[in-house]
Amino acid sequence: MKTIGTVLLVVALAWPLPAQQFKFNLEHLEAKASDVVDISLNGSTLQFAAKFLDGKDPDEAQVKKLINGLEGIYVKTYSFKSEGAYSAADLEGIRNQLRAPEWSRIVRFKSAEDGETAEVFVRNEDKKISGVAIIAAAPKELTVVNIAGPVDLESLSNLSGHFGLPKLETAPPARPKKLD
Amino acid sequence: MDWLEQELKHALERKEPPPGFAARVAAAAAGGAVQARRPVRMLPRWLPAAAAVLLIAGGGAAYREHQGRVAKDRVMLAMRITAGKLNHIQSHMREAKP
Repeated sequence: MKTIGTVLLVVALAWPLPAQQFKFNLEHLEAKASDVVDISLNGSTLQFAAKFLDGKDPDEAQVKKLINGLEGIYVKTYSFKSEGAYSAADLEGIRNQLRAPEWSRIVRFKSAEDGETAEVFVRNEDKKISGVAIIAAAPKELTVVNIAGPVDLESLSNLSGHFGLPKLETAPPARPKKLD
Repeated sequence: MDWLEQELKHALERKEPPPGFAARVAAAAAGGAVQARRPVRMLPRWLPAAAAVLLIAGGGAAYREHQGRVAKDRVMLAMRITAGKLNHIQSHMREAKP
């Protein structure tokens, strides 16, 4: 019995750890949700998929550039027919894992009018960004994203303008100088 | 005896074999004639194996292609969701700016 336990422990230690950088712990919401999107892509799947992305297509070219070198992308979206399906504790359980010094929150917005909140966290490792987390909560929808690996934030922000989304300028265009 | 009976009797009556028949049968039994009657072109024995290998390789490539397309679609969906959320956040941040 002790031998079996030792073997199981060795196997558990030798088993490759998932690249996901924090636990979502939202499985209990699946029964309440009307729609669930659950995407888990590890590094090897991403690199395999990259071979099938068309560099001539603007959307696919942008994604190909972004996923280069990533260790994984994990997305969970729950849509609900009514409000109150998830609790503040569900969100707090995720936020508690995204703490300093490893993680830092770079964006947070709360709309009292729509009842929406959204937060973007980045993971720093050796002064480099090694992961991004997004928590977007609306009354009838909850989305959690983890992009694991060296993320180019500029490429990530450049996703606006793709997938049919409007291009958002990060800064207003400079006024042309008046010639004397 | 009607005509049918006569015809049958004629058709089934014993006939002597042509001269040299016994010798030809003996020669055929020895193998010479059997070899001569084999098909002119036989399919090589390796051909079915090669066809099987090609079939498996083709099937494997098609399966790999399918897996690649599925992985690509999932990556694109993940990125579409992420981009949508980021776009939403960015537009709210812009609106909030004075």
